[in-house]
Amino acid sequence: MWSIVLLDVQKLSRTFGRVQALREVTLRLETGTVGLVGNNGAGKSTLLKILLGLLPASSGSGTILGCDIRHTGLKLRARIGYMPEVAATVPLLKGVEYVALSGDLYGMPYRDARRRAHEVLNYVGLGELRYRRLDEYSTGNLQRLKLAAALVHDPELLLLDEPTNGLDPAGRQSMLLLLEDLIAETGKSLILCTHVLKDVEQLCRQVVVLDRGTVAKSGTIEELTRAADNRFEIQWRDTGSNFLQRFRESGGSVLREDNPSEATALVALPETWGPRQLFELAAGCGTVITRLREDDENLERLFLRLTATPEKDTVMS
Amino acid sequence: MGIDIANYHGWHGELSRPARGVFSIVRVALLQVLRQKTYWLLLALGLAQFILFWSVIYAVTQLELPQDAKQTILREFGFSAQTDEKRDNGYMVFMERQSVVVMILLAFSGSLLVGADFRQRTLPFYLSRRIGKRHYIIGKLLAVSSLILILTVIPALALFIEYGALTTGLTYWLENWRIAAAVLTYGAVLCLANSVWLVSLSAYLQRAAPIAITWSSLLIMPGRLGEFLWKASDNEYWRLLDPWRDMRLAGQLFFGKFRKDFDKGLAWWALALITGITVVALLALVRRVRAVDIVE
Repeated sequence: MWSIVLLDVQKLSRTFGRVQALREVTLRLETGTVGLVGNNGAGKSTLLKILLGLLPASSGSGTILGCDIRHTGLKLRARIGYMPEVAATVPLLKGVEYVALSGDLYGMPYRDARRRAHEVLNYVGLGELRYRRLDEYSTGNLQRLKLAAALVHDPELLLLDEPTNGLDPAGRQSMLLLLEDLIAETGKSLILCTHVLKDVEQLCRQVVVLDRGTVAKSGTIEELTRAADNRFEIQWRDTGSNFLQRFRESGGSVLREDNPSEATALVALPETWGPRQLFELAAGCGTVITRLREDDENLERLFLRLTATPEKDTVMS
Repeated sequence: MGIDIANYHGWHGELSRPARGVFSIVRVALLQVLRQKTYWLLLALGLAQFILFWSVIYAVTQLELPQDAKQTILREFGFSAQTDEKRDNGYMVFMERQSVVVMILLAFSGSLLVGADFRQRTLPFYLSRRIGKRHYIIGKLLAVSSLILILTVIPALALFIEYGALTTGLTYWLENWRIAAAVLTYGAVLCLANSVWLVSLSAYLQRAAPIAITWSSLLIMPGRLGEFLWKASDNEYWRLLDPWRDMRLAGQLFFGKFRKDFDKGLAWWALALITGITVVALLALVRRVRAVDIVE
């Protein structure tokens, strides 16, 4: 399949005093839609700042949209549209003035910025509200307005920070559909930074899971969730034999062992195994498997698994 | 509200230099001030004062006034009918009086122009575009300076032009070019110092009431303290604690007209003090803006 590299960074690190926000992050992403997820403090903001050219990396190298991230700061922002998470409105301005100001600040000629402000406000469905003052906009409309402000200079890459933050379910769905249409029709790339994993599942093809400054996992969502194909939730009737012990010895791994009295567990079979081998092992141990269900891991479960800390496990158990 | 993709056109123009963003910041800031109706009252006050001085110049140059009326005008407004009158300092008096209006306007507009950027977290909007932090700071300083220019320097120059036009014309302007230069340099000091002080204060305090109270207190309280210490110790240098008086002394230095002989010695100290405070305030402002997290 034909693709262009959106982001290619090697061993990117960033420290703030003694705190290491990013540790040797190596990533290669294709153009398209990318979800950037991680817990608070995972390094998402630091990575975004580096990608926007707002912060230099302490070490490492790489390119974004073919530009060297170490030297491109303002040049890079000419090709990126950033939508901040916060409201970030300018008091007493009208919608169209706000978007035109965004165009001005990107360096667009005065007339072009105004003409384009009208255009993008129409695109995002705010055409009728463009002459209203910003304090009259609802949260949903403000999100659309910020998107228009990020789109005004027709960037190649949109960098959206929590675009559905504060929206009700209908507003959230509406925003996601808007973004879906936009990406599909204009072919722009998008990096979506969010805590709402369902948004990433709906909108993005690729995902990067950051955990404590490192890349816990990255790839297409399809690939990452396919990796769970060989995982099963099983229940068995315990006959006293040590079934799980034998299973481990055979190369399988027990991802989650529930209360022993319930005799249920989440297991990952060895690569060459199928359910048949599992049944054979159980039969050999004199154990009867009463339930076998494929683990339907979605992004949320993958995320929780990848970012789980020992402390969290303790709390959960 | 779906996307109107049928009319989507890409934009393929050329982006200009980031420095141009500075002027956009100034333009928007002035628009914000003009949109706030309460500020129109202060702008009207400034305009009224300008019209008063305009009328005074017209009166002393065009009307046959009794001698005592001329003396009163010279005393109150600093303008005389004679263009070679060495005591003429009407422009300085005008700028000093306009400064009162400017100070009040700045006290209330700091929150709108700068405080809101921090309070409502608008700064990430500005700084995530194609401008740097220095462009933002320069833009805001120029915005405040523009307000000062509009209220003091431009009308003072207009009065200078009027005086010349109503008297000897080109001869007056050429012979008194130092007055125009003094208006510009005094204006520059007013713009630079006040804009840095206000933007810096607003960046830290952010809300209208604290900014207005602190701004007023900084301009009044040290002056009172300085006056008390001056009277108690009979040391004129204590009066340098008054920043507003320091500004006036700087103005007198540029216009070359001192109300008291001793002020001549103090003027340079006043200018040095203004410069020092401005540098400290500027460093504090840079530090405050640098501390802002653009991506939260």
